[in-house]
Amino acid sequence: MTQLNSAFTLFLSLLVEAMPFLLIGVLFSGLLQFFVDERKLVAIMPKNPFLGALFGSCVGFLFPVCECGNVPVARRLLMQGAPVSVAIGFLLAAPTINPIVFWATWTAFRDQPEIVVYRIIFSLTIATIIGWIFSAQADIRPLLQPGVAAFVSRRQEAATRPELPSPLSTSPLLQSGTYFLGQSAKPMNTNPAELEAELMSAVNKPLSYRLRLLLDNTVQEMRELGGVLVLGSAIAATLQVFAPRELILSLGQDQVTSILAMMLLAAVVSICSTVDSFFALSFASTFTTGSLVSFLVFGPMIDLKGVGLMISVFRARAIFYIFGLAALLTFSFTLFLNLYIS
Amino acid sequence: MSRLSMSRLSWRTLSPWLDVVAIAAWGFALMKLWLSGQMLLLIHPAYKPLTIGAGFALLLVSAVKGWFVFRASRSNRQNFPPMQHFSLFPPGWSSALLLGVAIAALVLTPRPFASQTAFDRGVSDSITMTRVRPQSFTASTKTEDKSLIDWIRTLQVYPEPDAYTGQKVRVQGFVIHPPNLPPEYFLITRFVITCCAADVYPVSLPVKLTNGNRDAYKVDSWLEVEGQMVTQTLDGKRQLTIQASNLKPIPEPKDPYDY
Repeated sequence: MTQLNSAFTLFLSLLVEAMPFLLIGVLFSGLLQFFVDERKLVAIMPKNPFLGALFGSCVGFLFPVCECGNVPVARRLLMQGAPVSVAIGFLLAAPTINPIVFWATWTAFRDQPEIVVYRIIFSLTIATIIGWIFSAQADIRPLLQPGVAAFVSRRQEAATRPELPSPLSTSPLLQSGTYFLGQSAKPMNTNPAELEAELMSAVNKPLSYRLRLLLDNTVQEMRELGGVLVLGSAIAATLQVFAPRELILSLGQDQVTSILAMMLLAAVVSICSTVDSFFALSFASTFTTGSLVSFLVFGPMIDLKGVGLMISVFRARAIFYIFGLAALLTFSFTLFLNLYIS
Repeated sequence: MSRLSMSRLSWRTLSPWLDVVAIAAWGFALMKLWLSGQMLLLIHPAYKPLTIGAGFALLLVSAVKGWFVFRASRSNRQNFPPMQHFSLFPPGWSSALLLGVAIAALVLTPRPFASQTAFDRGVSDSITMTRVRPQSFTASTKTEDKSLIDWIRTLQVYPEPDAYTGQKVRVQGFVIHPPNLPPEYFLITRFVITCCAADVYPVSLPVKLTNGNRDAYKVDSWLEVEGQMVTQTLDGKRQLTIQASNLKPIPEPKDPYDY
């Protein structure tokens, strides 16, 4: 009974501490989606693959979104002609490299500020490396889902033959009729996710419409992410209170297994990056520093929920590459941290 | 109209209300935790304003959303197209889950942690010592004004127990009977919180009773211990110990953590 009480207290405290950060994250991601014009952003992107990947990794500062919001943004960036290195850098780093996540991590680990620093450096480095590697693929379309690839093709066509209208110069919602009529061999734009992506780039809509959309977006994300947060907190509280201490200690104090365990946990729990520090915090006293960092770096890049989202942009093969690279890099970096630094 | 489509219709009208109610319930739950003082059991006081603000914001969001949903249901106008979102749950589950937890938070009272958690978090390990960082010192001349955590922080800077011999002590905390100590010793313990209850960790000092047995002081009961510092060899280690002269039971504080 005492243990049940402790578990409930722990569970509730995780939720109560995380709720404000979740709300702020959701509000900001909504706000910036409506007020930052991605097309202007695409225009100033560096063409050099390495700089592009670095740029993409840092763009997260403009879009404080967690991993649930970054896939639609990355998809829009790709469709608006951003280089692939930028898009992948953004996809992997944006959930971590943004002010709200810094703040939340700092709040949770005020006692161990080095964790905040490692989280930022590792995420930035890994995202840049993977973005850079992917830029070696000159034509990205084989790695993309057909719908997105077709969009990219249309863009390239439009770029080489300027007399054709750019696919995004007018609202695709108004154009959808022409797609259905099939004037040319163009594929029909019936993908609801694509339509949603257009709906969301509502920069040019009237303010009242944008505010209304912001409200709906906030409610929807609060609901979805709140549900995941509840599940994640329940798992953390249960493990903390009911898992035998010897097991946790033997797993958590080992340099290698602690990292593997935390990476697995990160992928399964799928907790949002704005609040995952609070989750990790409950393991802070028993797990190695490297393993906590691996949780905080790997989780936002790859998790079950994120893979479900990424399937809407990339083919399975590309996701497998991204997953493998991210896992290997995270593991080697944090193992180095465990063995030689902390 | 078939029964199936009827139930779909009612679900479509109900599900926006479920969102509104779930978000409002969380707003109320945060308010309740604040007004009842239970919030201090859960989070560090520094984050109280943030959480209270979030409570108000949630109430506001649910009120505005509720107004729109109400208006839409009255005017029968086409609502905004529902955005296609990937989600882990079937529709409605997420809101129901949030609502359920909010109701639990409204109804149940969170309990402060006690000795069981202290053992789980390693009250007798040395790792807890390494987590306490010396912070701002108030170099008070009266050693009996130092709290338990002040003592631990001082020890962290200068660990030699003999340096404190004879100094007067008055600290508050709860009682733990560690099995590895002789029966005239118990640990006076306090939890330290840096962020939320997920990261509380125990700090403690051994207390030596002059006459006899710790059984007179029940596990988890709160005490104010007065006495003098001495050095004892316990469990193979030389440790700073309180030689108790006066033990006074105190009520469990509203704010059980130390900072």
